Formats: sequence, structure tokens, C-alpha cells
Amino acid sequence: MATRRTFLKLGVAAGLAPTLAPSIASAQGAGRVVVVGGGFGGATAARTLKTLAPTLSVTLVEPNATYTACPFSNTVLANLRPMDQQQFGYDSVTKAGVTVAQLSATAVNASARTVTLSDGSALPYDRLVLSPGIDFDWKAIPGYDEAASQIMPHAWKAGPQTVLLRQQLQNMDDGGLVVISSPANPYRCPPGPYERASLIAYWLKIWKPKSKLLILDSKDAFSKQRLFQNAWAQLYPGMIDWVSLSKGGKVTSVDPSTLTLVTDFGRHKAAVANVIPPQKAGAIAHQAGVADRTGWCPVEPVAFESTLQPGIHVLGDAAIMGAMPKSAFAANAQAKVCAAAIVNLLAGRKPQDPILINTCYSLVAADYGISVAGVYRPDKGVLADVPGAGGVSPLEVVGGFRGQEALYASSWFRTITAEVFG
Amino acid sequence: MRLIVLPALAGLILLAGAAEAAEPPPGASSCTGCHAPMKVTDSVIPRIAGRKASDIVEFMREYRSGAWPSSVMGRLAKGFDDAQTNAIAAWFAAQPE
Repeated sequence: MATRRTFLKLGVAAGLAPTLAPSIASAQGAGRVVVVGGGFGGATAARTLKTLAPTLSVTLVEPNATYTACPFSNTVLANLRPMDQQQFGYDSVTKAGVTVAQLSATAVNASARTVTLSDGSALPYDRLVLSPGIDFDWKAIPGYDEAASQIMPHAWKAGPQTVLLRQQLQNMDDGGLVVISSPANPYRCPPGPYERASLIAYWLKIWKPKSKLLILDSKDAFSKQRLFQNAWAQLYPGMIDWVSLSKGGKVTSVDPSTLTLVTDFGRHKAAVANVIPPQKAGAIAHQAGVADRTGWCPVEPVAFESTLQPGIHVLGDAAIMGAMPKSAFAANAQAKVCAAAIVNLLAGRKPQDPILINTCYSLVAADYGISVAGVYRPDKGVLADVPGAGGVSPLEVVGGFRGQEALYASSWFRTITAEVFG
Repeated sequence: MRLIVLPALAGLILLAGAAEAAEPPPGASSCTGCHAPMKVTDSVIPRIAGRKASDIVEFMREYRSGAWPSSVMGRLAKGFDDAQTNAIAAWFAAQPE
């Protein structure tokens, strides 16, 4: 360990004269990073910051002791895996040198550079990373508020809602109608509603084969659409009906007391209703002033620093990331880039222009996987697709291609959760 | 007092700089989302940390051309030119196996 005396010598040896005082003074507090939100974005950012710069003080603010992962939670609905395989603690994050504050962030003071926590304390920061995920817009669909979600679950934040939806499916009589309401873009996990429809159909086909599934959609096209629709025709013929926006798919109101979903074209009475409502950045992003009128957070494409509040970086689902979708893989990739950029910024260096990858698998059946992949780089102020790269799984395949992608999907989940929480 | 404290802080900053780990080249940090830095049980995705750089470059070239069949790797390899691929390969080759 260096002593105070060697610090003094180093300072002198580096030729630092009193005239440099202002720049040193401004760097005096450098090295405190607060990360809000312990999901794939925030937990990755906190760990990567400590890996790249062990002397940084990094605090992760996360109210829950256990994180419940959304990717693969659709397999819980189909009874393909137990809920506890979706759950992770923060012991390894702590062991990596991150201070985990098991509290909520209630306010950000961007000019004083402090985060207020739910115990009333204030954490000072030099750089703040917000990775709050999504909140639901409870005013978007008349009749659908938080109380209604106990009857018509969204299950779009994994946890008790996932268990509730699974329970409702298991209690349903054979021959019942399951209705999924899918929101307009942008929202968390673009292919998620269609993976969910697929895996619920997979389960219904085995256990309640007279049942049907209706997707009421607020858009006319969706991620991996042809792959999903081809697979539905092949695996679940006649079971899944998709109603697009232009065919009257947009749910305009719901009535939880009768499990009814209303569109401009009709009323649909469900046996089980899964309403995935429109979303926005998590509340702290709005409080911090980093969200714009869209409800999401504009950022620059190199360090993901807010274009509205300097010193605050936004990651993952909450941020507007150009061509990158809202996925766990994307949040994890963005977090690693952001952490490296913050280390550079705190040291007075310019961050390097990044390249990022997104890979997103969906399961259509237990042994049938499809994927979308993309490569992104900053272009004209936003993250843009690298031309010629990326795309979805081929429509026509031979041999065990779909089975192999299902294996890659579960392997990916093990790998990324090991990197973030393991 | 000020004159004493300031060089001390400067020394701290210098030490902090020296203590930083090297930053991966553009693109490399995304790879570990699938290719974990640590050993992961029950994963069919191979680890690439500690592999020979020339092997990684060769795989990426064959993924890009389609000579080696793949699922996502062909689509991803097309997003990286030779210089970027070489830098990523060198980075992973230098990581502990």
C-alpha cells in the first residue's frame, strides 16, 4: 500500500504545480458512481465499473434483495421451469466490491448531484447511472389500473404477476379463451408477447387442447413475425388468432369484472386475460428529469449520457437507444459500454466509439427456438444498425436448427445471468 | 495546507489511473453476454477467453462468409471488419482461459 508520504512524492514527481489547482480541485470528488436499478443493466454497470476501476466507489441502489429475471419467464407460465430458476441475489455483486444499498431511490438532484434514498439519506455522485426499467402507463387503457392487474395480469415484470397468470391458466377449463393484449411500440421485449402466446399454446395443446388463444394487437407488424406465424401454423394449427391494429386489434378499454376486452370492432370475453399495457421509463427517470414527452429517456450514443441532464447516464429499457431494442442482452451490452465510458470520463479521457450487439432468442416450443441479432454503432447522434449485419433466423431450415437455437437460448440465459449475478 | 493536500490528491488520481484494467476494444464487451468470462455449466455456447487469436479470427471469417454454418454468429460477424475482428480476437486471447 502506498502511504500518504508516497502520494506526496508522486504528486511532486508528476510536476504538479499549484497553478493546476483548479483542474485538480474539480477532480477532487471524482470516483463516486451511483447506479439505480439492479437488473441486467444496473447490476452489470456496477460490476463492470469495479472491474475496470477498482478504486471507484460504486453504490448500487436496489430495493429488492432478489431479482426476478423477465427473460425465460414465459417458460414458467408453460410449466417448463420453476420460478426459482428466474431468481438471483446480489451476493456476487457485493463480493465484486459494489456497495449494495437495499433501498429505493426517491429523488435525484441533478444540480447538487445527489440521489435521495427511501431512508432519507442522500448519496453524492460524480456520475449517476439510471437503469430503472419500465413502469406501466395505468391511464392508457380505461379500466386497466393496478387493481385490475390483479384480475387481468400483465406479467410483464416477472414475479408474483407471472405466478398469478400461470395459476389462472391452470385453473381455466379446457376450451377457454386466453386473450393477450399487446401494446404499440416501443415496449419491453418486442417479441415477448408472441413468445408468450407460443408457449401458452404449447402448454394448452398438451393439457387443455380445446382452448384457443387470441392476440389483440395495437400494431400491424411484430418482431420475428413470419417465423412466429409459420411456427404457429405448423405446431398449433387453428389455436392462435392474431388480430392486427388495422383489423381492430387495439384494446380501447377493459372491464375486469367480466374479463372483457373492448376494441373498436367488438368485445372479447376471456377466460384468462393477459393485458400487457403501454409502458414508460421507471419513475425515478421522470423524477430526475431525464425522460422526455415520449415517456422514455433520450441519450447520446457513446456513453449513454442523458441529453437532458448532464452527469446522468440511462441504460436499458428506460432509454431511447435508436435501433437497439429493449432487451436484457441490450441492457447488459449497454451497461458494459457505459461503465467503460464513465471510467474514461472520470479520468478526463474521451470515451471510445462503441460497437454493441443484441441477440434475442424466443422459444416457440420447448425445443423450438428462433432468434434476432443486430450490431449497432453511433451514427448521426443515435445508435444505428451496422449495415449488412444482423437479422432473424432463416425461414427455411434443415435438420435440428430450431432445436439448436432453443439450446442456445437456454445457454445464453445461464451465461448472462452468470456474468451479471454469478 | 492547500499546497500539501493538492499534490496528495494528484497522487491518488495517478494511482487510480494505474489501477485501471485495460478497456476492451469496441464490440468485445458485448460478446460476453453469451461467451461468459467464467466457466458456466450446462451451456452449449463455447468460451472464447484464452483461445488463440488466430483461431477466433478464422472462425469469424468463416461465419462471415457462411463457410462455417451458424445461427446468430454469421449475422453478427458481418457487423465487424477485419481490423475490428483482429482487435476483439487479441483481447479475448489475452484473457484468462
